[in-house]
Amino acid sequence: MIILDSNIPPGPLEMKWDRRRFSGKLVSPANKRRIKIIVVGTGLAGASAASTLGQLGYQVECFCFHDSPRRAHSIAAQGGINAAKNYQDDGDSVARLFYDTIKGGDFRSREASVYRLAQISTQIIDQCVALGVPFAREYGGQLANRSFGGVQVSRTFYCRGQTGQQLLLGAYSALCWQIERGQVTMRPRTEMLDVIVADGHARGIVVRDLVSGRLSAHTAHAVVLATGGYSNVYYLSTNASGCNVTATYRAWKQGAAFANPSFTQIHPTAIPPAGDHQAKLTLMSESLRNDGRLWVPVSPSDRRSPNAIPPSERDYFLERRYPRFGNLVPRDVASRAVKAICDEGRGVGPGGQGVYLDFSDVIRQQGIEVVRERYGNLFEMYQRITGENAYEVPMRIYPAPHYTMGGLWVDYNLMSTIPGLFVVGEANFADHGANRLGASSLMQGLADGYFILPYTIGHYLATVDSPPIAEDHGAARAALERVEARIKKLLQGKGRRRTAASFHRTLGKILWDHCGMSRCAAGLRAALEAIPPLREEFWQNVVVPGSGDMFNQELEYAGRVADFLEFAELMCHDALHREESCGAHFREEYQTEDGEPRRDDERFAYVAAWEYREGEAPVLHKEPLNFEFVQPTTRSYQ
Amino acid sequence: MSRVKVFFNSSVNSKIVASLAGLGLTGFAIFHMLGNLQVFEGSDAINGYASILRDMPILLWTARMGLLIVAGLHIGLVIRLALRNRQGRPVAYAVRRYRAASVASRTMVLTGSLLLFFIIFHLLHLTAGLIDASAPDGLDIQGRVDVYGKIIHAFRNPLYVGIYFVGQLALGLHLSHAISSGLQTLGIEHAALNRLFKLAGSGIALFVVLGNLSIIFAVFLGLIRA
Amino acid sequence: MLVAGRKRRGGYRRIVKLTLRIWRQRGPNERGGLVTYQVDDISPDMSFLEMLDALNQQLIMAGEEPVAFEHDCREGICGSCSLVIDGVPHGPDRGVTTCQLYMRRFADGKTITIEPWRARAFPIVKDLVVDRRALDRIMQAGGYISVNTGGAVDGNTLLIGKEEAETAMDAASCIGCGACVAACKNASAMLFVAAKVAHLATLPQGKPERTRRVMAMVQAMDREGFGSCGNQYECEAVCPKNISVRFIALLNREYLRAGILGTKMPAQSDPPHGESY
Repeated sequence: MIILDSNIPPGPLEMKWDRRRFSGKLVSPANKRRIKIIVVGTGLAGASAASTLGQLGYQVECFCFHDSPRRAHSIAAQGGINAAKNYQDDGDSVARLFYDTIKGGDFRSREASVYRLAQISTQIIDQCVALGVPFAREYGGQLANRSFGGVQVSRTFYCRGQTGQQLLLGAYSALCWQIERGQVTMRPRTEMLDVIVADGHARGIVVRDLVSGRLSAHTAHAVVLATGGYSNVYYLSTNASGCNVTATYRAWKQGAAFANPSFTQIHPTAIPPAGDHQAKLTLMSESLRNDGRLWVPVSPSDRRSPNAIPPSERDYFLERRYPRFGNLVPRDVASRAVKAICDEGRGVGPGGQGVYLDFSDVIRQQGIEVVRERYGNLFEMYQRITGENAYEVPMRIYPAPHYTMGGLWVDYNLMSTIPGLFVVGEANFADHGANRLGASSLMQGLADGYFILPYTIGHYLATVDSPPIAEDHGAARAALERVEARIKKLLQGKGRRRTAASFHRTLGKILWDHCGMSRCAAGLRAALEAIPPLREEFWQNVVVPGSGDMFNQELEYAGRVADFLEFAELMCHDALHREESCGAHFREEYQTEDGEPRRDDERFAYVAAWEYREGEAPVLHKEPLNFEFVQPTTRSYQ
Repeated sequence: MSRVKVFFNSSVNSKIVASLAGLGLTGFAIFHMLGNLQVFEGSDAINGYASILRDMPILLWTARMGLLIVAGLHIGLVIRLALRNRQGRPVAYAVRRYRAASVASRTMVLTGSLLLFFIIFHLLHLTAGLIDASAPDGLDIQGRVDVYGKIIHAFRNPLYVGIYFVGQLALGLHLSHAISSGLQTLGIEHAALNRLFKLAGSGIALFVVLGNLSIIFAVFLGLIRA
Repeated sequence: MLVAGRKRRGGYRRIVKLTLRIWRQRGPNERGGLVTYQVDDISPDMSFLEMLDALNQQLIMAGEEPVAFEHDCREGICGSCSLVIDGVPHGPDRGVTTCQLYMRRFADGKTITIEPWRARAFPIVKDLVVDRRALDRIMQAGGYISVNTGGAVDGNTLLIGKEEAETAMDAASCIGCGACVAACKNASAMLFVAAKVAHLATLPQGKPERTRRVMAMVQAMDREGFGSCGNQYECEAVCPKNISVRFIALLNREYLRAGILGTKMPAQSDPPHGESY
């Protein structure tokens, strides 16, 4: 029985976090030494949490499936990190960052959490500077900023195109220090496969040593999941190939509510898939749309080379549909428009998945040098991947899933509905509502890990006093058995006719078509009908070579695909139940005559938190969103 | 003793000391070549130069001992480093392609070993006079050791010319990598001057080798005679 | 040389056949060897890793064990991928990782040899996967600034000139893939260590610990069994982030400085005044 208590402290918005910090109980230094905390994942949230907890004196055991904690996918974030420093004196403030974030999330996030995020944002920058993160600087030595993601102030801090990497290396270095001090025990190449819940509290995890294949139970006073997002459920996404839903999904099956699973963000300007072999999609900066024009041939049967198509036979579809914003409409709008065009059969390139992003006009008007200066590195990257010279022929772009706002439900203290199980970073659902703004994910990951969790977990540990269970405790043994049985089953596919990747691709296609950028009841129902037989076939026919007690990448992958096959259904349930269009969730039935999304605050101003029931459909719980401080408004771009 | 051991257990310390020693030896090679160039001024000049050196036995033998120690240090350290380096990759690549490493840099152990043998040979040959029994052992008119005569005698013989030529090739190759490498190891680099540092290596190597070879071939080709 | 066709709109699909010689090794202590595979159906638009994916799908369907290799972000930033392709770490293109290499770079009918990073400090886990924890241990020895979370001063209190910041960023862009070690004749990790030392020594935040840091990191590097630097600069030539060997000179300088200035006077212990306050 799940009861959602968001645990938001009372009082004025600006005071809530201070109050929580003051009212939270503290753990005495002597006791901290005896308390063990498990952290799973070493991205921004995980590494910053593990290092800070180690610094506070807890005994931390930290797990990641990579060969090194530095490789987590946070590393791939390019753009930057937001903070309400107002260094540019352009009118930024905590309140403005708060408002931009909550509006960007289309009023589907918690006011108190978002406000706290905006408050903490400034501390993050200072902390990262102290750790040696080489942020871009002005000639005078001050920190440089740029504006990002269509906001009107310059509040984004950056390290060239490698902000995520540099922030992660900062957190990683802090983690290294704590490992050296003996506060953190690092366990790379270990994958978490289940949560151990005893007496209603999360007391440990079951992991598989990826080198030896050995399964083991690790117990602790509390467990922190920092295991990232699940965009890879779509098979093709901009996520790293290892990103998966397994940790959060297994936690869900043990009683943690999963919130807003259908809120997934799809980025409009990725390089299109070149064929069936495609393993991942590469993102291109959104800034390309500042100068490039999107178009497709008017006639679907037009197979001429793009430069041979005269302007009169081109459809500049964004300019046509959104005359006021043209090619600069927001991410979700652009993505949907591109998909609609391709669904009409007018897409270009392999499989008709792509539209032209054409720079010939700006090259003609301003010269090739200007374009080279602005986008040279992007054109180079494009050429490396596609072999095409975008100065001569138009680029082709196609949307790609790249971030998931949904995640395990957490209260204001970042604790899930399983007491003792905390969730940080992209793995939780908090803060971004139905749509995330650019440069906000890094901010949230670090806020959770450096500044929020270390306080809130202390209160839990101080108030719940029970020693860790033994590693052969009944609950631990049961969890181990669950994992063992599952691995055994994976290795026993009878028909042996399809690889895990092939199932994954099919699943991805179902979700992309029906639970991607635009959704409708009929499509979602079709998806819900298609997924169970696919899953069944998977368990019948999947080929997993080798055995469980060895380094076996295919076994790891098959296990993740198996979880995606179950989780996809949850996504579709969530998307189907939310009969409104908000943020990244666009339901075709709920749009205005101009094709704009229609949000329904009367019926759907809540967080949808789903509870797992064995053998039944997931059960919906609602956390109502009360907007005391801001007034929900409508987004419009026409 | 343990302090010394700890010091030289650091690969970077070993390299710094080996570089310093190597650069010292390079200095000697330059000085040696310049001194020998007096052969072009005739027997009086070179014999006089040699006799000045021999007239200061304390200086001469201190310098010789010093050189021996520096050379010993250099050789000892680089052998130790090379052995350690070899352990760095117990299984070799089946296919190996170099992009940046020069021929000189890849043959340092070979050229260094050749150089060592060559120097021993050279010492036995021209300094101690133990190799060629037919070499003149006399004094010149003024009663000084007739270095000039020894040189003329030695380099009329194609066998010795050949051996010295190979020795000089080894020296040239070794120095062309060693000098700029030594500067890098000592941390001497500069955005604007790096190309100069790089050129300095091959430049000095060429300078020393050409100087030495000029003597050998001048004698061999009969440009300098007795 | 016949280079597999550049893609054009329309009929760009050229199929390439290749012979692969891949290092197969079941475990750290097992004997390994090069095994030859034929792959056809290779599109020039495939990335090198997608080509290996395709091979693995074939192997799995044939009931064989797929080739283990490391990969994650597939966009050249995580540092996971680590293949020596025809004798060059990360393959024939410069300034990129293996995952950023595309098949149009290879001629039809070519034989490609694929080996793991080879170094004593990087024992093979399986096939082309190696254990690079040695690099983490070097970082743990000193590749950090010891500051606690919380209480950091405002980021602008510390003025850092643009040029210093850029230099620090140049060094910090190391992705820790270990190609420098793989390329070095001596399997030296100097470029890796130098990048971190230079990053932190260039910034004022890193200065207080610079002496201890460089000493500890070099010591850890030696302990892990990496060779020493021969100044051949193969590392720079294969570095996917083009990290300059100038940072190695900087490391040497830092080390010299630490050696000369770092020898502390023996610490004077406080006079005993008991527990009285």
